[in-house]
Amino acid sequence: MLPDRIDNSSKKPGLPVDNRKRDAAWEDIMILKTISAALVMFLLMLMPASAGPTDPMTTIKGPIDSVIVILNDPQYKTAGTKVTQRNQIWKTVKPIFDFNEISRRAVARNWKAFSNTEKAQFIDVFADFLGNTYIDKIQGEYHNEKIVYLGQDFYSDEYAEVKTQILRETLEIPVYYRMRKHNDGSWRVYDIIVEGVSLVKNYRTQFASILEKETPAQLIQRLNEKLAKQNKSLSENG
Amino acid sequence: MTSVPGDHGKKVTGSLVHDFQTVKQLMMKRRQFFLIMVFFLLLSHPAWAEAQQPVTAAPPLDDQTSGPVDANPVDPFDDELEDPFAKEDDVLQTVADPIAGFNRVMFTFNDKLYFWVLKPAAIGYRTVVPTPVRVSVKNFFFNLLMPIRLVNCLLQGKVKAAGGELGRFFINSTVGLAGFLDPAERYPELNPPPEDLGQTLGYYTVGNGIYIVWPLFGPSTLRDTMGSIGDWAMNPVSFMQLVNVDAGALTSGTTNAVAYGVQTVNDTTFRIGDYETLKNAAMDPYEAFRNAYIQNRISKIAQ
Repeated sequence: MLPDRIDNSSKKPGLPVDNRKRDAAWEDIMILKTISAALVMFLLMLMPASAGPTDPMTTIKGPIDSVIVILNDPQYKTAGTKVTQRNQIWKTVKPIFDFNEISRRAVARNWKAFSNTEKAQFIDVFADFLGNTYIDKIQGEYHNEKIVYLGQDFYSDEYAEVKTQILRETLEIPVYYRMRKHNDGSWRVYDIIVEGVSLVKNYRTQFASILEKETPAQLIQRLNEKLAKQNKSLSENG
Repeated sequence: MTSVPGDHGKKVTGSLVHDFQTVKQLMMKRRQFFLIMVFFLLLSHPAWAEAQQPVTAAPPLDDQTSGPVDANPVDPFDDELEDPFAKEDDVLQTVADPIAGFNRVMFTFNDKLYFWVLKPAAIGYRTVVPTPVRVSVKNFFFNLLMPIRLVNCLLQGKVKAAGGELGRFFINSTVGLAGFLDPAERYPELNPPPEDLGQTLGYYTVGNGIYIVWPLFGPSTLRDTMGSIGDWAMNPVSFMQLVNVDAGALTSGTTNAVAYGVQTVNDTTFRIGDYETLKNAAMDPYEAFRNAYIQNRISKIAQ
């Protein structure tokens, strides 16, 4: 099929077909074909390992980079824009976290004592509470810390850990994101380990000791109260 | 108290033997170190046995419907199948806290001390002292305390890390102008994770004992407290005092206290806000910090 095409292209009016020229062109085409085939093969081989958006590190890198852009954005340097900036950051990072899984793991064995409604309420309030706490921290104290992406470890097809480091003046703070792959192929964070301290496990001991004495509804109530207090002070300082 | 019973005893001796086989260069010193280790092991044993209690007391997973809920549950999600990052020692993230009453008072005391004294001092110091100077002060103290890290690397048989400590010390003490600068910073092999005696004891499977919150010094455990005392003895200035070298003002108690104060305030300037965040994020700050301390130590021992 290909030689025919070459024939056609070289059969320009008034020009006789030179056989040697045609052979050379044929050779060139063959080389190109081999190279492109090799390229396609190479790309195909590469795909499963680092397929753009389904890669754990890429999944968190994009949103984190966007947050730094938002933090440095001069439009939020004026008074009264803090709440807008917080909402903007929250919208950016929320999708990379699996708050369902974070809640389930933090409450651990007591999770089955929660009714379905209570589970949903807990997930909502805990997500907002975590968001507020940590966004408040980075909004208040971001001083051009750099994030270094050290790499990602796959423990199976389903579990991965992305290792990062926050560089602050003379400190290096290791922050590891543990992620799980969902059925839709997306990776989401289910635990963050800062300097060896797992956020989920830290809450687990606290929730366990509260739930020893109180009902799930009371724990949700406590979280709601903390959240309300946070929102109040955030809007006041906004 | 003089014998180390049970499986844990075997584990301890096992890892000691294994460790010393890999460190043939330390032939001369190893007998002394072994004696020190045994001494610490014996000292810590009663508390360490106590620390195992909550672990064994945790009810098996199937039993969880009956009986009281354990404060520090064995979590089904830490099952290898559910979470491959979970390790066996996750169970050990609990610590015995028989003196919780005292500890909570000390926690409140330290909290007030931080907000009323340390934080204002650090903020004041930070406004007056420019960052490069603060970094230099931090480098200087870090370099000065090299012997502690070196000895603990060797005690754990981490010869490469020990070499790194020595290498960094020589570079930073000379090219780095008595340790104020850190030209060794860019070489990863010269920056091994810092070791201390508490970690060394943990490396030889000595348990935490009980959780203790010290006024001024903050969270610790019985094991780490003993470690800190040993480390203190290896601090060059206290070492000179201990062996009765009289270096005048350098070895005086006042100098020591002032140096500790400066170091603490200077180090705090790099961490202002971190304590507040962890505290604000907590439902029960006391428990949050206790757990964070234990988790952090476990990860350091594992390094």
